[in-house]
Amino acid sequence: MQPTPAVEVHDLSYSYGDRRALDGFSLSVPAGSVFGLLGPNGSGKSTFVTMLAAMAPPASGSLSAFGQPPHSALRARIGTVFQENASDPMMTVSELLRLAGRLFGVPRAALEPRIRELLAQFGLSDRAGELTGNLSGGMRRRLEMCRALLHNPELLLLDEPTTGVDPDERRALWDALLRRDTGQRTVVLATNDLAEADAVCDLVAFIQAGRVIATGTPAALKQGLRHESVRVGWESPTAEQLRMVAEWAGGSEVTRDGGFVRITVDDASTFVPRLFTLAPGAIRSVTIEKASLEDAYFRHVTRRGDAMAGMP
Amino acid sequence: MSAAAAASALFTRDIRAVVKSRSQLYSSIFTPLLILVFLGNGVSEGLAPANLTAGNFTAYLVAGVVVMTSVFSATFSSASYYRDRDSGILRMFLSSPQSPRVILLGKSLAGVLIGALQALAVLLAAAPFVEFEWQYGVITGVLIAIAAIVLLNVMLAGVAQALASRIQTMQGFHLVMNLALFPALFFSGAFFPVDGLPIWLELMSRVNPLSYAVDALELAAYADGSEGFFGLALDFGVLGVLAVAVYLLALARVPRLTYSGK
Repeated sequence: MQPTPAVEVHDLSYSYGDRRALDGFSLSVPAGSVFGLLGPNGSGKSTFVTMLAAMAPPASGSLSAFGQPPHSALRARIGTVFQENASDPMMTVSELLRLAGRLFGVPRAALEPRIRELLAQFGLSDRAGELTGNLSGGMRRRLEMCRALLHNPELLLLDEPTTGVDPDERRALWDALLRRDTGQRTVVLATNDLAEADAVCDLVAFIQAGRVIATGTPAALKQGLRHESVRVGWESPTAEQLRMVAEWAGGSEVTRDGGFVRITVDDASTFVPRLFTLAPGAIRSVTIEKASLEDAYFRHVTRRGDAMAGMP
Repeated sequence: MSAAAAASALFTRDIRAVVKSRSQLYSSIFTPLLILVFLGNGVSEGLAPANLTAGNFTAYLVAGVVVMTSVFSATFSSASYYRDRDSGILRMFLSSPQSPRVILLGKSLAGVLIGALQALAVLLAAAPFVEFEWQYGVITGVLIAIAAIVLLNVMLAGVAQALASRIQTMQGFHLVMNLALFPALFFSGAFFPVDGLPIWLELMSRVNPLSYAVDALELAAYADGSEGFFGLALDFGVLGVLAVAVYLLALARVPRLTYSGK
C-alpha cells in the first residue's frame, strides 16, 4: 500500500497581476521524504512554498497538506524557512525563538528546553543572548532553521535555505537537520543548488514557468544520460559547430550554460580531442565529471536567453 | 496556545522594543516638554494672551501637547508594521497559526499603551510647574485625563493601523499621517482656544476628533469653573464612539501588509 502523501497538488494556478507564477502545477510529496523543487529564478518555487504555508490562497486547482486544504490552523503543523531571513535585528536569538514559540503554540514548560536543544543542534548555544542583527549570514540561516523547527512541524518548507551560506556552514546546517530528521518529517526544499538537492533529496521535481516538467528520484532522472559530463569553456561556438557536436557518435545532450557548453558523453577521452580539432583556439577549458543532476536538469529545463533552437 | 497568549507575546515584544530604543523613548517625552517650556513661556511672556480663562499659556498648552504626544506616538508605533515587514519578521508572524487580526491586536495594544504612558508622562511631568486648577480635584482630574488619553490613543491606533494596512511605504505613511493629523492638531484647540474663532475655524474644530480630547484634558486639568467648549459628556461620548468604531474598523480590514510570497 502506498503511504499517504504529505502534500498533494493538482492543476494549481496563481498569478501576480498579469504574470502567471503557477500554471497547472501538479505534484505529490510522499510523507517522510525530502522533496526538492528545482527550477530557475521566477519559475514558481517560492510562490508554491507560500501557498503550501497557507499564506496565499490558490487561484484555481487544489492543494492539500495532510489531506487538508491550507488554512491558518494547519500552519501549526508546518515550519517554514523563507528565502529571506524572518527575524528582527534588535531582538536577541533567544527572544526571537521565545516569541516564535508562543506564536506557534509551544507550551511554556516545553519552550525553554526546546530552544536549548535546537540551539545546541545548530551550534548556536553560545549566541543565545546575541542580537540577531549581529549574527553572520550562515548563523542567521541556522537560526531560521531553529525557528522553523521549534514547534516540531510535520512538514518543513525550506525556500533556498542555504543561499549566501559558505560551504562549511552549509554542511553544518544539513548535518544538523538530517542527522535527527531522516524519515521523521516531510521536507520540501526549493533550491537552485542542484548539487545540494542531489545530495539530500529523495525525490526532486524540475519546475519551469510555473509547471512541473519532470519528477523522480535523482538517480531516475539521471538515467538515460551518458556517463560523463564535459563542461567546455568555448568562445562563441556557432550553431553549426554545436549541431555537429550533437551528431557525433557518443554525444547526446548539448546545452549552453552561460559562456560554457555542457555535453554528456559515454567516453570523454575520445570525445574531447575532436572538440579541439573542430574549434582550434576557441576552447578555453575542459572539465570532465560524472553526469550529475545538473545534467538531467539542463536536459529538461530550457535556460533563459540561450535556449538552442534546433538542438536535440 | 490561545490567540490571547499570542497577542500578549507580540504586545510584550513591541513594548520591549520601545524600551530598548532609548532615543525614541526620551525624545517622545522631552520634545513635548521643550515645546511647553519654550513656546509656552515665549507666548505667555512675549504676547501676553488676554483671552485665556485661567492660568497662563504654558498651562493652557499642556492639553494640546499631550494630544500631540499621542499623535506622534501613534505614528511611531504604527511605523513598526513597516519595520517588521522590512526586517522580515512579519513573514514569521504571518506563517504562524495566528490570524493577522491577532497579530494586529497584539501590536496595536502595545501602541496604545506606549502612547498613553508617554502622554500621561508629559502631563504629570508638566503638572508641578504650571498653574493647573484641577476643578474636579486632583485625583478625579487625573482619572478624567487618563480616560481621555486612553480613548484618544485607541482611536489614533485605529487610524494609524488602518492607514498602515493600506499604504505600501513608510514614507507614504508618514506623509499621510502628517498631512491628516497636523492640521487636525491646529484646529483642535491644542495651541489656541477655539471659542471666539471665525465660524469656519470653529466648524472645523467641531468635526475634528482631536478637539474633543483637548477639551476633555483642558477641563480635567486647566479649566477653572468652566464647562469647556463641548463639555465632558460630549467629549467622552464622541471619543468613546470613535475609539471603538475606528479601532474595530481597522481590525476588521484584512491588512495589506502581508508577505507577497514572490
